[in-house]
This record gives sequence, structure tokens and C-alpha cells, in this order.
Amino acid sequence: MLEIKNLHARVEEKEILRGINLSVGPGETHAIMGPNGSGKSTLASVIAGKSGYEVTKGSVELNGQDLLAMAPEERAAAGVFLAFQYPVEIPGVTNTYFLRAALNNIRRHRGDVELSMTEFMKHIKSKVQMMDMDNSLLSRSVNEGFSGGEKKRNEIFQMAVLEPSLAVLDETDSGLDIDALKVVANGVNALRSPERAIVVVTHYQRLLNYIVPDYVHILMEGRIVKSGGKELALELEDKGYGFVEEELSAKA
Amino acid sequence: MIDLKVTPHSLIENFDLMKGILATYGPDCLQVLREKAFRNYSEFGIPTLKDEEFKYLSLRALEEGRFAPAYGATIDRHQVEQTKVGQIEAITVTFINGEYAPELSSAHVLPKGVFIGCLRDGLTVYEDKILHHLGQIATLKGKLGSSNDERFVYLNTAYLTDGAFVYLPKGVSIEQPIHLLYLTSADHGPLVSHPRTLLIFEENSDAKVLETYLGFDGVYFTNAVTEVFLGESAILEHTRFQDERPESIHIGALSVHQSTDSIYTSNSISFGARITRNDVNVWLDGEHTETWLNGASVAFDEQVVDNHTRIDHAKPNCNSFEVYKSILGDHALGVFNGKIFVYQDAQKTDAKQTNQTILLSPTATINTKPQLEIFADDVKCTHGATVGQLREEALFYLQSRGIPKKEAQGLLVYAFAAEVLEKVTIASVREVLEKALFSKLRSSQELPEQGGD
Repeated sequence: MLEIKNLHARVEEKEILRGINLSVGPGETHAIMGPNGSGKSTLASVIAGKSGYEVTKGSVELNGQDLLAMAPEERAAAGVFLAFQYPVEIPGVTNTYFLRAALNNIRRHRGDVELSMTEFMKHIKSKVQMMDMDNSLLSRSVNEGFSGGEKKRNEIFQMAVLEPSLAVLDETDSGLDIDALKVVANGVNALRSPERAIVVVTHYQRLLNYIVPDYVHILMEGRIVKSGGKELALELEDKGYGFVEEELSAKA
Repeated sequence: MIDLKVTPHSLIENFDLMKGILATYGPDCLQVLREKAFRNYSEFGIPTLKDEEFKYLSLRALEEGRFAPAYGATIDRHQVEQTKVGQIEAITVTFINGEYAPELSSAHVLPKGVFIGCLRDGLTVYEDKILHHLGQIATLKGKLGSSNDERFVYLNTAYLTDGAFVYLPKGVSIEQPIHLLYLTSADHGPLVSHPRTLLIFEENSDAKVLETYLGFDGVYFTNAVTEVFLGESAILEHTRFQDERPESIHIGALSVHQSTDSIYTSNSISFGARITRNDVNVWLDGEHTETWLNGASVAFDEQVVDNHTRIDHAKPNCNSFEVYKSILGDHALGVFNGKIFVYQDAQKTDAKQTNQTILLSPTATINTKPQLEIFADDVKCTHGATVGQLREEALFYLQSRGIPKKEAQGLLVYAFAAEVLEKVTIASVREVLEKALFSKLRSSQELPEQGGD
């Protein structure tokens, strides 16, 4: 489904990703862990198409389509969803107006009929409940004045509404207390399905207690240095990122 | 005969024609007021770019236009219902070409002592109160400022006939919104009207007022003056929506007098008219008052929209917050001049002023000038002006959700002004304004479909 090959990317003159290889199949959940500055968020941003990153080498494909050649909105239509680490506040646009515009654009792109307001409200009803969201958040401006937890919940809610084939969660656990974390994780788990791939980018193992990954990759200095099953995350939690560094230098 | 120092033009010539009719309206003292105001206006005439307060606003169209005194016109209920504000449920007082239209106004049972109607009827009940405030609020006499210019208030007073009058006695609060609707139909040639609105809110009274200016036909000039008196602890949310015909000229002066502990919110929304000039003057005459001035203007083609505001902090411990935003496209010209005077006694004043503009085309222009004159030493006053680009991170956020770049840009332009509309707490009015903004922007911006089926 998602095929990343030898991906190199830089911001201005600084090379951040230095040859990422990653293959994510449908139905799989992968965790990408790494210390600060290892390139985790850059990887998420490059997949979603944020400007300011220059890909110097390599490829990113989703179901055989070249994502790097697409504008961010085309990637969304192709099935990519990025849950932001810092969701953006947009005063003046209500959540409902925004999300219906997003959904209808994606549907149009896929050749599906657009939803009227009534149909849209029906479509999102169960999702609002699933994310334990206050209905008033729908008529409020996008993320404006939302608490940290509400913002993250809103991200997963959007994901549930847009039903992407690839969801990338960028540090979705940061700033969440345990209750909010559970709600967010439940939301993500409810969206796991045989057709959908999920990539969880995180610094800490905590979130992975609730969203249990099939694979864990450790990212350091712009490369995936170690991959394994879910137990790798526990080992990291136990020993810290230092043990990976030691292993690497032992090999060298 | 008055010795004219300025070039004669229709606004002056009309007076001789009208004098006799004007004199029959209201008590004699009003005629004295008119004559005096006419002399004051005649001394100055139409401003030119050399006049400090009008340095970016060309009003040659006023000089050249032959504006006849407002004549009667017929607009039926169905036509009103078709307008943007036609479905708002409110206590409505309607005027056509400046003249009260009872058939388009609503009858309501009101609490004892409350008056919501036209000035002419108001004079039969509250003559003393009206004469006490009329012309006393819309004046800069004795106030700071070296370039004070009130000629259009004089002009309005010279022709003073009718307009809306609202009186709330002590302690009364009105739940339902009050809608003052000024309609113009110049179907028999260019005309000028001078609507005069007076709102008197006594101690502890509270209401929400929408003042709307809409046009149906033709070329016309609306020269409106609104005076607001807020007694102690009175609260008013006052939204002024101007969506006049594209060939028209709208000059509107709003003057507010705030007493101790009162709270005043002005939402000034300007979408229409070929030339718009808004003056908002707030006089803070008591301590611990709160003032919110919000403005949103959208102009395209050759539209000109000039917003002048002034807040006189005359007493200590008052807070004022001001946010004015403009979206300008094509060859539109915007002006913002925001004066804040802090008088010597007005210690602990807290005043914040912001002016933000988005220019959608390289041929659109904004002239923005904050003007703070502070004569007290223990105050907090800030001001800021930005002429902006859309926020990159917001654009990416929208795109990442599948919204095409052009549509995302349109949405952010919409959001920029819609943020001001959020200050309107009457839901039905806010929705009307959002729809009006949407359709105004739609001609130049790609925008996703709005709500509703």
C-alpha cells in the first residue's frame, strides 16, 4: 500500500531524512519511534505534502501512485490523512462547514455524489458519539479555543469522517492526559480495518499500549535503524534510545 | 438669504425648497436646530482631499450628482422578505427613502414605557427626552482633536425629519432583537435621504439592535446619523449592516455616549455602496465602561470604503477594544483612521486597537492610520496594523483535508472577515451576515458550498 524507497529530504540546507525505506501493507499498523530531531515529523510532513521540505532522492507511493508528484489536496483525495501534531486554529470557519467542504471534495475526486447538509449531518452523527465530542464543537470555529485534548480528538474525528486509506498520526499523544488518550486510541482502533493502513509517529511507548502496532520502527538521524514487532516498543521503554545507539556502534 | 461661501450644489439648493415642509415637522426648536446646522454645513460644503479627515476620500460624485430631496416610493412586504434581512424575526421599524413605513413595520406588545418606532411618533410621547439628547450626542464640541469635522452631521440635522427612535426605561431588557430597516428606492432619479436614529437606553436597560441600510433601485445618497445614549450599566449590542446599491453613496455617522459601567458593542459591516464613509465616535463619560468596536468591510470593483473611528477616554478605568478588518479586491480603496484620545483624567485606561487588511489584487489600496493622543500617564494603549497574506499553515491544513488550494484560499479570505461576524450574538442575524459575506466574496473567490440544503 504505502511504499517509501530511499527517501532523502532536507529543510533548507539541512538534510533530515537520509534514506528511509518503509513498506506498509493494507490492514497494518506501524509505529515509528525515535528521539527528538530524528526526522519523525519530517517524514509525516513529507508524506502529506507540506511545503518547505525538499525531497532530494527516493520515492513515496500509495497504491502505486506517486504521492510526491501530487498537491496536498490530491494526496488527501488519494486517501492520505495526516493527524497534525499541532492542529491549526481557523477562526471564522465552523468545523461543520470545513469538514463538509473537505469530504465533498474528496468524494467528488473519487466520483461519489456530494452530500447535502442533512446527509452530511447523518454521516457524522455516529462519529461524533464515538469520539465523545460535545456537539457544540461542530458549530464552533475549527480548533479555535479548543483544549489540547479537544484538538486531538477533532483530528481523529476528521479522520473518521474522511475515511482515508492511509492515516499518519503525528505525535497524537503529545499533550494528552490518560482519559483523552484512551478516547483518541479507541477512535483510531475503531478505524482499523483490512483496507486501511495506519502509521503512528510517536516519541513514547505510552500510546502504543492502546493502539497496538503490528510493526515498530526506530528512526534515528534520518534512517530507520531497527525494526521489529510490538515488543520492540516495550524494550525501548525499558532501556531508552541509548540501547539502540549502543547496538549500532557495536555493529560498526 | 444665507451668504454661501461654497459652490452651490444640490445638497444646499434643496434647503430652500424643503424649508417650508421641514418646519411643519416637530416642535419649533427643531427648526432652529435645522437652520443653525444648515448654516454650519454651508460654511464648509463638500469636503475635498485637502480636508484632513477626508484626505483619501474623493466626494466629487456628491458635487456633480443632482440629488433631489427624497420622494415617496412603494416597496411591498414581499419585496422586503426577498432581501437578505427579510427573514429575520425581530421588532422591526422600517423606513422607505427616509420616511416611516408602518405597513412594513411590526406591531409588538412592549413592556411599560418602552418605545420602539419612528421619531415623529416618539415626539408625541417623549418630546422632552428626545430634545434633551438629539444633536447633543453627535457633536465634537469641546472635545479634543485639531481636525474635527462634522459637516455631514450638520447636513443631516439641517434636513432632519424622520428616523427610528428607541427608548428603554430604567431596568428594562428586551429579549427580541430590534431591527431598524432603512430601504431606499430611487426609481425616479437620484435622491438624497437623511435618516436620523436615536437610541436612549436608561440605567440598567439592555437590548440588541440591528440597523440595516439596503437599496432597491437607482442612484442615491444616504446621509445617516445615529445617536446612542447609554445610561449607567446599560448594555447595547449594536450591529450596523450596510449593503446599499452599487451606484450609491453612503455616509453614516454613529455617535455614542456611555455612562458609568455601561457596555457598548458596535459591529459595523459594510459590503455595499460605491462610496462608503463611516464615522464611529464613542464618548466615555463614566468610569468602568467597556467598549467593543468591530468592523468588517469588503470592497471590489471601484468601491471605496472609509472607516473613521474615535474613542474619547474622558474618564478613568475604562476599557476599549477595537478590531477593524477589510478585504479589498480589484481597484477598491480602503481607509482606516482610528483615533483614541485619552484625556488627562483618564488614568488606568486600557485601549487596544487592531486594523487588518487583505488585498486580493495589486491594484487595491489601503490607507491605514492609528492615531493615539494620550494626555494621562498611567494607561495601557496598543495599536497594530497588518496588511496581510493568508496564513501558510492554515492553508496547508485545509489542503491536507482535501480542499483544493484556490478553495482553501477563498475559505481563509471568508474566515478573515467571518471572525468579525462572530461577534454578533443574535444567531439569525449572524447567519444572514455570513451568507451576505459569502455571496459578496463569491464573485472573486472560489468558495465551498455553505450550509443549508
